Amino acid sequence: MKALIKTTIASVLLILPLAGCTDFLQKNPQGELTQEVFPSTPSDVLLATNAVYSTIRDWYFNSGGYPILDIMSDDSHKGSNPNDQLTTVGPYDNFKITATADGLDRWWSTLYEGIKRANVVIEKVPAVVMDEKVKNECIAEAKFLRAIYYFDLVRAWGGVPIVTTVTPPLQLARASKDEVYQLIVEDLGFAIQNLPLRSAQTLDNRGRATKGSAQALMAKVALFQGLFITSEEQALEVIHSGEYDLEPVYTDANGVKGEHGIESVFEVGAMQVEGTAGDQYANTQGVRGTPNRGWGFNRPSEELRNSFEAGDPRLDATIIDLGETLDGVKIIGDGTTPDFEYDDKGNITQRECYNQKVWVPGNNTITQWGHNRRLIRYADVLLIAAEALNENNKPADALVYLNKVRQRARGGNPAILPDITETGKANLRKIIMEERRHELAMEGHRFWDLVRTGMAGEVLGPVGFVVGKNELLPIPQTEIDISQGILVQNPNWN
Amino acid sequence: MKLVKLKIIILLLLILTSGSYAFAQSIVITGKVRGSDTGESLPTASVAVKGTTHGAITDMNGEYRIEVKAGDAVLVFSFVGYETQEVVIGNRTKIDVVLKTKASSLEEVVVIGYGTVRKSDLTGAVSSVKAKDLTKITSVNPEQSLQGKVAGVQVTSTSGAPGASPVVRIRGVGTFNNSSPIYVVDGVILDNISFLNSGDIASMEVLKDASATAIYGSRGANGVIIVTTKTGVKGSDKPVFNFSSEFGIQNLSKKINLLNGREFAIITNEIVSGTYNNVDAVPNTDWQSLVFKPAPMHNSQFSISGTTAKTEYYLSFGLFQQDGIIDKSSYRRYTIKANNTYHLTDHLKFGNNFTLAPYQQQNAPNVTYSVYRAQPLLNPYYADGSYGVVYNVGNPLADLANSNNFASGVRGVGNIFGEYTFLDGFTLRSSYGMDASFGQSKSFTPAFTVFNPDGTASQQQNVLSDIYKGNSQNTSWLWENTLNYTKTFGKHSFNAVAGYTMQETKSESIGLSGENVIRNGSDFWYIGPSYIYDPANNVNTIQSISNGVDPNEYYSMLSYLFRVNYTLSDKYMFTATFRRDGSSKFAPANRFSNFPSVAAGWNIGRESFMEKLPIFSALKLRASWGIIGNEKISYFDRFARVQSDIVAVIGDPDAAIAAASYGKSGNPDLKWESTKQTDVGLEFGLFKNRLTGEFDFYNRVTDDILVELSTPGHMGNGLGQKIRYNAGSVLNRGFEMNINWRQEIGEFSYGVGILGSTVHNEVLSIGGASGVDSLLIGGYLGNGQAVTQSRVGLPIGAFYGYKTDGVFQTQAELDAYPHSSQAGVGDLRFVDTNGDGKLNALDRTYLGSSIPKFIYGFNFELSYKSFEFSADFQGQLGNKIFNGKEVVRPDPYNFEQHVFDRWTGPGTSNTEPRSSFGGYNYSISDKFLQDGSFMRLRNIMVTYTVPKALTKKLKLNELRVYLKGTNVYTLTKFTGYTPEIGSYDVLSNGIDYGTYPVTAVYSIGLNLSF
Repeated sequence: MKALIKTTIASVLLILPLAGCTDFLQKNPQGELTQEVFPSTPSDVLLATNAVYSTIRDWYFNSGGYPILDIMSDDSHKGSNPNDQLTTVGPYDNFKITATADGLDRWWSTLYEGIKRANVVIEKVPAVVMDEKVKNECIAEAKFLRAIYYFDLVRAWGGVPIVTTVTPPLQLARASKDEVYQLIVEDLGFAIQNLPLRSAQTLDNRGRATKGSAQALMAKVALFQGLFITSEEQALEVIHSGEYDLEPVYTDANGVKGEHGIESVFEVGAMQVEGTAGDQYANTQGVRGTPNRGWGFNRPSEELRNSFEAGDPRLDATIIDLGETLDGVKIIGDGTTPDFEYDDKGNITQRECYNQKVWVPGNNTITQWGHNRRLIRYADVLLIAAEALNENNKPADALVYLNKVRQRARGGNPAILPDITETGKANLRKIIMEERRHELAMEGHRFWDLVRTGMAGEVLGPVGFVVGKNELLPIPQTEIDISQGILVQNPNWN
Repeated sequence: MKLVKLKIIILLLLILTSGSYAFAQSIVITGKVRGSDTGESLPTASVAVKGTTHGAITDMNGEYRIEVKAGDAVLVFSFVGYETQEVVIGNRTKIDVVLKTKASSLEEVVVIGYGTVRKSDLTGAVSSVKAKDLTKITSVNPEQSLQGKVAGVQVTSTSGAPGASPVVRIRGVGTFNNSSPIYVVDGVILDNISFLNSGDIASMEVLKDASATAIYGSRGANGVIIVTTKTGVKGSDKPVFNFSSEFGIQNLSKKINLLNGREFAIITNEIVSGTYNNVDAVPNTDWQSLVFKPAPMHNSQFSISGTTAKTEYYLSFGLFQQDGIIDKSSYRRYTIKANNTYHLTDHLKFGNNFTLAPYQQQNAPNVTYSVYRAQPLLNPYYADGSYGVVYNVGNPLADLANSNNFASGVRGVGNIFGEYTFLDGFTLRSSYGMDASFGQSKSFTPAFTVFNPDGTASQQQNVLSDIYKGNSQNTSWLWENTLNYTKTFGKHSFNAVAGYTMQETKSESIGLSGENVIRNGSDFWYIGPSYIYDPANNVNTIQSISNGVDPNEYYSMLSYLFRVNYTLSDKYMFTATFRRDGSSKFAPANRFSNFPSVAAGWNIGRESFMEKLPIFSALKLRASWGIIGNEKISYFDRFARVQSDIVAVIGDPDAAIAAASYGKSGNPDLKWESTKQTDVGLEFGLFKNRLTGEFDFYNRVTDDILVELSTPGHMGNGLGQKIRYNAGSVLNRGFEMNINWRQEIGEFSYGVGILGSTVHNEVLSIGGASGVDSLLIGGYLGNGQAVTQSRVGLPIGAFYGYKTDGVFQTQAELDAYPHSSQAGVGDLRFVDTNGDGKLNALDRTYLGSSIPKFIYGFNFELSYKSFEFSADFQGQLGNKIFNGKEVVRPDPYNFEQHVFDRWTGPGTSNTEPRSSFGGYNYSISDKFLQDGSFMRLRNIMVTYTVPKALTKKLKLNELRVYLKGTNVYTLTKFTGYTPEIGSYDVLSNGIDYGTYPVTAVYSIGLNLSF
């Protein structure tokens, strides 16, 4: 009996650990796939493609969170109350930032995260067995979005590391600016070939890139490269496609009514919820105080206010002033923000006002999260066409598109915003730039327009812009540190 | 004839009076055994005849009766905690002895992994803390008792919040990730012991060197703390009832010196002129007094222990209650403990150790930060009693009033074991242990608005009420099977143990959050469609759902272990240990690893030549070397995973649709981190062991550290996402000492103990061949600024930033020095450390370390008759604290008092810059680095034991009452609440983020047994 117990105990204790010991030490990811097996089905391909769109709704995608592009321009100041983010966002207003400035790392990393998501589709989807047309559309959408991300990178920092695979080397030097533009143009070329027309898109696919989106972006990219022939061609392709038009009412171009409307060439869908499916872009700039619509950053400047032509209704449609009633909501403003600030001579330097382009009807912060940011709208395309045509010495054609924009702005009032008739190239160039400023104010275009046309030194020099330095942002210091010297800082930033 | 008669009578007597000693002449000896310390009798002391196995045990009155043979010459008296005494019988039949208390700990039995060993036979570095010292500190965490008690162990509070656990570091910081030791409670391996009541613990052993920890292989790299809980006292068949209760009051130990309303108004006017017309008319609110209030704590325990013929038992019930000094924070824990052993036969026993610990906790929001920041010239309430606006930070009182954050749960830890002894010296043991816990958390924030003075809504507003519910469950099992062989023949004694263990752990949680609960009362704190209705969208909203395993608590392990101890002539000891571990956290190719160690000891004190040096009562030299491992990483670090919680918004109207893509990359090549440790130790006893001491030198190098490194942004891993690599090595080298003096003079006795340890911590490499980050940035302040950099040649988590050398007094001075474009006259002067004539990020440099150069403790004990007094001091030297809470200033916050000595013109100050609400002067610099050295009166205690004469009348064994103070006094230059700033994240250590202050506690207690 004793011997039996002994033998049993001994054999149980010895045998058990050997049985199934390989399985015992295998713990697979729970509730998650590994990258080796994704994407492998048509449904995976759709999920992966959708993910590339998610990044454009990321708060950091918007120049790292805060609207620093407008703040750096002459159209806007930091906003909020005087001390809110004074030391983080404040220095962008007068070009006092350094390579450790708040937000640079957020913007940089998020753009590359978007690029990685695009690369998943571009690199992995070709091997998936599925309908070829759908497959190419998905790849085209990813390439379009990859172009969006690189376009931000190249405009903000110049030549940056180029990543076109999901397994890039850890150490990667900066490519040249031209190489980055070359990749953008190649990607857009594929997108134009494979994306559907807006009219061929079902309503539940609105928000996905179309052929028109890619052509419009190509036109804009060409403008930044100084390739006016391409720019003219692509812009006219969009115009002649008949797929787009201006919203009859100017405020609908950015408003709720015009979401996914006729003027929307490419926009960022967002729902009225905080977090998850919402977009914090408009909340960041929403009216501060009463009604509490957000943080109140991006305050329209006095210079912008005074630059509008007499009677231009776009002034009122761009700036929310205190005391105004919008969609039945009275704007009272913020108790901690002075209504007016003056200089030594008693001139107004700033006043409490807000960016109306992000306005969503409502009186709490939540609806503001549903604002759909228009990345490309048809008015921009018309002005790109006008600019390119003027540069290509076709002023008469340029005037057609320029005046189309002014005509809509006029809103049927013949007393204001007369048609432009100027055909002198230099003068017309200035007029078009002014039109861009007023039509696209507070939508993140102005700073880059000033830089690409070489006007930045003259316009922004007095507030601290240094020619040869401030055209580009400094590469985030953390990236330079990590790269162990592989990444070289932009000129004059050390 | 007479002779024959006599012989027969003697024979008859012998037959009558002897049992096993039949047919041999024997005599009966009686007497009483007392203790020299109390003079009281010692029940259950052992009396044995030297050279035989024959013995007896004293009764409850300390009296014994033993029969001895004529040839027996010497009786040996022994009792736990007392020196063994040998008495020559001579022709006495009544022998009373007084046993001396043991001045030395050298003869203690010490618990090591999978066995016990006499302290004198130890070859490894092991420190022991016994029950008496474990209950000195009233805390929910037994680890707190180790602070200042064990050389080489640093225990640092992370927060004063009720129920918060401290950070424990043994011999420095050995890795960049989890550096905490493991705990082995009655054989069950655990990550923490927050479920244990200090009163249930018999001893805690800290295993420090490789020889001691190698038996735990991969688990032991950061040290092992073995916790042995109480069992029935052998030899007393009468049950012992014990009741203890303690009540204490916690207080904020000090206030931070902040500006008052008037001073803040003056500073504000200098920054924005004319903000306050009359600085003498502004209100002054002391936010610290409004938020921090004295709070009670209470700890009671009742236990029964004893033995019967075949069983030993210990049962206890405990209740610990603590309110926080911040409203809406509290902790309550019940503990139920049952330890039983059943001797089925002489060869077979079974037993169990179980603890069940239900707890309830309320967590306050971190208002410490907002109290520090709140402007002093704002009123907490308006005239109508509603909460006043506190710009930029929110009114902390309103935050507290609207906070309802609760956690509750139950944790059960225990094991059952069987032990079978067979043949000569073999013991087979099998133990199955479980750790299971269930937790629930809920929080509710009602919709509320704090208004501006003009009646408009301030930023402190919650538009819709929020509710969160979470559940978690964690189960872990550990099955251990060991075979032990002990044999002594002649001068040789062997002890060997071999075995294997299996462990599996899984923790899963589910969480739900929603908005807009229909009513505020707790009856409605549930998530269900009928309660959650969003009028803005006319839809029900569940904000988020989360469900998954805890990545750090999902793994399995299979281990084989072996150890042999060999002792020659009681003088020369050798130990060899080997463990082979397999972990699910690594890919099959790297799954198993071996962890060997060897050690030797020489009991010099037992050599015959030492007899010429009678001053030495003990002397021992020991040395060890070994490799131990670490695998405290997430189970999925090796996998490149797909992120599937991505949401895209597509369609007209906008619709949320599912999306998935590659998450951050994984590293399939991960393998074990390993630590090589060498230790040399010397133990000694002098003057009959009145003076005892222990010195240790150790050298610990950790290689292949499993470290998460930032990857370049172009990898697309997303902001702040890191990938784990085996890339880095760290050196910890130090010296430890522990010296105790103890003396008795009649009824007076006293003792003094001193302990100290040094740590030299240095990063030997980071990144290495992997081509990623060559430095680790850490200590993020939450505004993008990072305070620490771990670089080769510097300590882990070194403070890194600008050096300052004054304030720019004039424009001429500013122009003459390299300076940042943001600097102006009156601003801090940063040093151009690289001397390139420019001031930029490259001038940031090493400023100091949070790791102390010296950690020490000293304690006194005095006892006279019924009174006992003890005082424990503890401290550290040479570490720095970064005042992180002062630096993060996106908005105008209140300031510390020193800011008032600001620069206001040439010559006014060369240390405090001109007034500003933030920006340049608040860059990371040595301006905010403070000396973290401190000396703290950790515990002071007076105990009165009611005299035996009186307690006997009350039919009690013992009755003691005491008064004590914890954290009573701290000598430090640091300006924050406490210089103890701990963090689990080794890269963020020593940064004062404005956490819940650690308190001073005054308490009164009583302890009675019957």
